[in-house]
Amino acid sequence: MSHGFRQDMPPPGGYEAIKYKRNLPIRGPGGAVIFGAVGLICAFGFYRVGQGNLEKRELKRELAWSRIHLVPLILAEQDRDTYRRHEAAVAREKEIMKDVPNWEVGKSVYNTKRYTPNTIVVL
Amino acid sequence: MASHRQAVFNDQPYVDPNPLPTSVPPVDELGTTSAPLKSASFFIGQYCKEVNEDFMLCKSENRDPAHCLKEGRKVTRCATELIRKMRESCLAEFDAHWQCLEKNNQYFQACRVPEKALNSCVFTKLNLTKTIPGSPEGQPQVHEKEKPIFTRVQK
Repeated sequence: MSHGFRQDMPPPGGYEAIKYKRNLPIRGPGGAVIFGAVGLICAFGFYRVGQGNLEKRELKRELAWSRIHLVPLILAEQDRDTYRRHEAAVAREKEIMKDVPNWEVGKSVYNTKRYTPNTIVVL
Repeated sequence: MASHRQAVFNDQPYVDPNPLPTSVPPVDELGTTSAPLKSASFFIGQYCKEVNEDFMLCKSENRDPAHCLKEGRKVTRCATELIRKMRESCLAEFDAHWQCLEKNNQYFQACRVPEKALNSCVFTKLNLTKTIPGSPEGQPQVHEKEKPIFTRVQK
């Protein structure tokens, strides 16, 4: 039975199995790890925000006290100036109203002993 | 009143040239601008504590400017003396700190480096320390923090 040709046959050992199965190798960290890492980053961020809020509060305290310490100094200077202007205004009034009988110079328009600052500034 | 103008003259500042009456002893005004005052504020608060409290107690008695002139003079003299002492002993550090404040919107947190130098100089020469009342106990105050979160903003 020799025909002079050879029938094409599978390779010895047979064909290798057809790769039809899903092949998705797991790469990188797992979901739980990523979730945890994001959680950690968020936790650090919130911790930092909290520390920043505490520090902000202390910065406000520092600012407030630096101003409180300067209040007497500035108030004293302002008082002297107000007093000086008030005295000058009284002197001016005295000069202007010297011909008016029974005129009380520098009398307040309010019937009180409490200090009432001037609401009118004479230019 | 159909006028868009306010009832004040803004074209020239309101200056009253009349001097203080001679019955009031003269005192030179401090004349220090805001940045040096802010730089020295905690030292003024400590150095002049008694006269300041005296003055404020007097003011709480009566708001009349004429009532507390004497205490006010003491306050100003004390602050002048402190500024003079600071300039005598720590001029370079003082200048560095207030000029830093001047350039950084007067934020204390932007000038911790010159402030540290100023604080240590004032402490060694004048024995004054910067303490912020009401700061939490047992931890460094905000100006003594090693790694502050807020420093210069945008620069």
